[in-house]
Amino acid sequence: MRFKKKSTIILALLLIISLLAGCQTNAPATEGESNSKAPVANDDPRQQTLFVTGMQWNPAQNFNWFSGWPAWPTDTTANPMVYEPLFLYNSVTDSLAPFLGKEYAWVEPLKLKVTLQEGTKFSDGEVLDTADIFYTIDAAKRYWTSWTGYTEGMESVEVIDEKTIQFNFIDKDFNEKNALEMLARMPILPEHVWAAKEKEFENDATKMSEFFNDNPIGSGAYRVDFHDETQIRTKRNDEWWGKEIYGLPAPQFITHLIYNSNDASTLDLKKGVLDYSQNFISKVWELKDSGVRTYLEGAPYYTEETLPTFYINLHKAGLDNVEVRRALAYALNYPDITDKAMNGYSSVIEPSLMVFDYEKAYLDQDKIKALAWSYDAEKANAILDGIGAKKGDDGIRVLPDGTRLGPWKVECPAGWTEWNATIEIAAQNAKAVGIELVPSFTEWGVYDNNKSQGTFDITMDTPAGYATPSGVFRRAHALLNSENVAPIGEAAYWNYGRYDNPRVNQILKDLGVATDEAKKKELFTELNVIFLTDVPTIPLYYRPSVFYTFNETVWKNFPTEADGKQIPASLFDGAGYLGLFELTN
Amino acid sequence: MKGYRRYFTKKLMWYLLTLIVAILFNFMLPRMITGNPVDQIVKRITVGMHDTDNIKATYETFYKEYNLDKPMYQQFFIYVGDVLQGDLGTSFSMYPKKVSDILKRAIPWTVAIQLPAIIVGWVLGNVLGAIAAYKKGIFDKVIFPITLFISSIPFFVLSILLLYGFGVALEWFPVGGAYNRTLIPGPYWAFYKSVLQHHFLPFASIALIMLGGQGIGMREMALYELSADYVKYSKMMGIRESKIVKYVFKNAALPQVTGLAISLGTMIAGALVTEIVFNYPGLGLTMFKALRALDYPMISACTLLITITVLLANFFVDVLYGFLDPRIKANQIEES
Repeated sequence: MRFKKKSTIILALLLIISLLAGCQTNAPATEGESNSKAPVANDDPRQQTLFVTGMQWNPAQNFNWFSGWPAWPTDTTANPMVYEPLFLYNSVTDSLAPFLGKEYAWVEPLKLKVTLQEGTKFSDGEVLDTADIFYTIDAAKRYWTSWTGYTEGMESVEVIDEKTIQFNFIDKDFNEKNALEMLARMPILPEHVWAAKEKEFENDATKMSEFFNDNPIGSGAYRVDFHDETQIRTKRNDEWWGKEIYGLPAPQFITHLIYNSNDASTLDLKKGVLDYSQNFISKVWELKDSGVRTYLEGAPYYTEETLPTFYINLHKAGLDNVEVRRALAYALNYPDITDKAMNGYSSVIEPSLMVFDYEKAYLDQDKIKALAWSYDAEKANAILDGIGAKKGDDGIRVLPDGTRLGPWKVECPAGWTEWNATIEIAAQNAKAVGIELVPSFTEWGVYDNNKSQGTFDITMDTPAGYATPSGVFRRAHALLNSENVAPIGEAAYWNYGRYDNPRVNQILKDLGVATDEAKKKELFTELNVIFLTDVPTIPLYYRPSVFYTFNETVWKNFPTEADGKQIPASLFDGAGYLGLFELTN
Repeated sequence: MKGYRRYFTKKLMWYLLTLIVAILFNFMLPRMITGNPVDQIVKRITVGMHDTDNIKATYETFYKEYNLDKPMYQQFFIYVGDVLQGDLGTSFSMYPKKVSDILKRAIPWTVAIQLPAIIVGWVLGNVLGAIAAYKKGIFDKVIFPITLFISSIPFFVLSILLLYGFGVALEWFPVGGAYNRTLIPGPYWAFYKSVLQHHFLPFASIALIMLGGQGIGMREMALYELSADYVKYSKMMGIRESKIVKYVFKNAALPQVTGLAISLGTMIAGALVTEIVFNYPGLGLTMFKALRALDYPMISACTLLITITVLLANFFVDVLYGFLDPRIKANQIEES
């Protein structure tokens, strides 16, 4: 029995030691500064904190834009919490809202002038002026950043005075909307901080990219306050320059919780541990009783912003036949896919390159309707009969030249439930008309490799998956533009099916500079007519860029479509950020 | 002692060889998966770039940084060289964080769950097993079947059952994480309390399974020893019962000590499922995320760490056995 006593004591000691060890890891908080280590000096920190998720799946990897991949709240160039872009893009109104920038104007066709707001400064008190904007663009030429792409078509940047700056573009490949996108997706960096860093690292790109930047200095209303394996917490900067103009965002703290699965975050959203989630939640309407709400009150619950698509390899025997592709487009049961795979979070697709209503307004619907397909298995069979594709004993058709219609793999990453379900349904639909599709769910790396190398039959992807002024151009470019696309066997970064039509490339160029609305309508219609005629890809349904879902237990007044304020459905992207200023307890 | 030294050297050589092969596999296996992890980083940077030359150049920069442009054998030697210097590389999925930094922060959480769970499970399991064997009656009729039942439940099922029962349905314990995230970690009571609350369910799920397995093992061994001749002889000699019990359990505990050593050695690998279920920020969860992101350096580092601890535990047991169990020693001496 003595042994038992002893062992109990040892056990208790071990427990305490190991627990302390566990706490110890977190106690030093961060490698650098952490502003507060004690609990929030407030009656109820819960009332002061907005708990969010959906933008970060790992502990913070860095807060440095020169790494190419910083963590929330610097996760996208349009998240204005720490580093602010000049303007905030509003995808509801398709316009740019003033932010750091007061106004912009095209002074000449290729010259874009931007004026800054009064009193702009960084969180360390230094003034933010046009020299910082100049530096931000200039640094993007020396190092790889997410906005380096915008510098490709830029001839020069002129600093006119402390508040005014002018961007001069090159005529070739100019696209007005892409230029405006830069205003919404280029985070302005403090020159005084980063020029010193460049000097410290002797302009070494690797060292610049490996710098963690634990305490990022930006002009935003929030600062990174604390981060560990389970959360990233930000604290409001009450001295924010924009206080006079815009007021302050409501939450004193915004904490991003890190989960490893959607199920876990859904559970917390339901319990009110989380206030806001951007993760996919199946059957969100069943959570209504727990106070969980979405941007739209009823179906489809979320806004339709992107276009998940089947990319078809146009160099594969059988799939190179436009009639086969058209038959496949008719064979897919879009209402069923939308309902089952997408949980009904979309209306049934009307095939075209356009998603938003203001994009669809550019189409001459008479011309489009004549070509647009919809689910019609009989029509699919008729098309295949018409080209002499006869069914074999196994029910799969064979073209007159002997090409069997399948088996064709349809690829997407394993575990992407909504895409996996889409492909399963599509395979059944195709089989019903005599085309054999084989679902192929692989590791992300394999999928991505096949996609860019062009070594797939059919693959699934979303072109231009974020809200931007140049949304429709990004989408059309990603789907159809053949300029600079590497041949099969080499990596391509868009147009994975290697569609090649010089007329399409020309239309995209012309659209980039078109100012006349009638001309735009004509060009957009022609582009969509070509798309519907050639069927190079098959759009499947609409999808929100984020699944904007909130629980009003602690915070109220989240922006919705019904409130008429026209704030987009995303608290941490572009003008959606303005929603934080509307929240109340 | 000469025989023992030979035994020891021979074992050591085998373990070294195993380690080398393990390191080789460690390096090769993640790289045999199709796909290129650098793509992930490059994709993010090149959004919006239309100029393929720019994209290619970005790609090559990162390719070089990770030495992926070099032939495989060179990459291997670079890897081994770095590992020997304690540099486990830079994570792909959490670029530019160092793998060793990530592991340093994750390991204490895993140890905090596993170490107490293993020890509590081991001690309680052995005590219960011994009582069941010795006292029989209610212990053997009730406790033994219960432990048998518990030990046959897979880790993840028990974790999910506990999570659902005590976390979701009864709401006695939090459903995941390491502490209440409205708190900032620091040396104050509310935080410790929150850590303990979050600690309990994952701890219990491991301890219960450990307890079941150990209980059964101990009971079997003790029953075997109790029927051994020396027990009968001691009884006839009139030796005090408590003394006999001491003999019995000393002998019965020998294989259990092995079990403990191996459990401690594999504890780092063992927490994978528990940590995933409870979203507990330890090594298991880190490895799980690394696997999903094809993060070679992270995967390699985790598997290397597991390999080394398992090998060390086994080696330790082998060596200890040489000392503890006279039968093995005798065997070695005969061979030599």
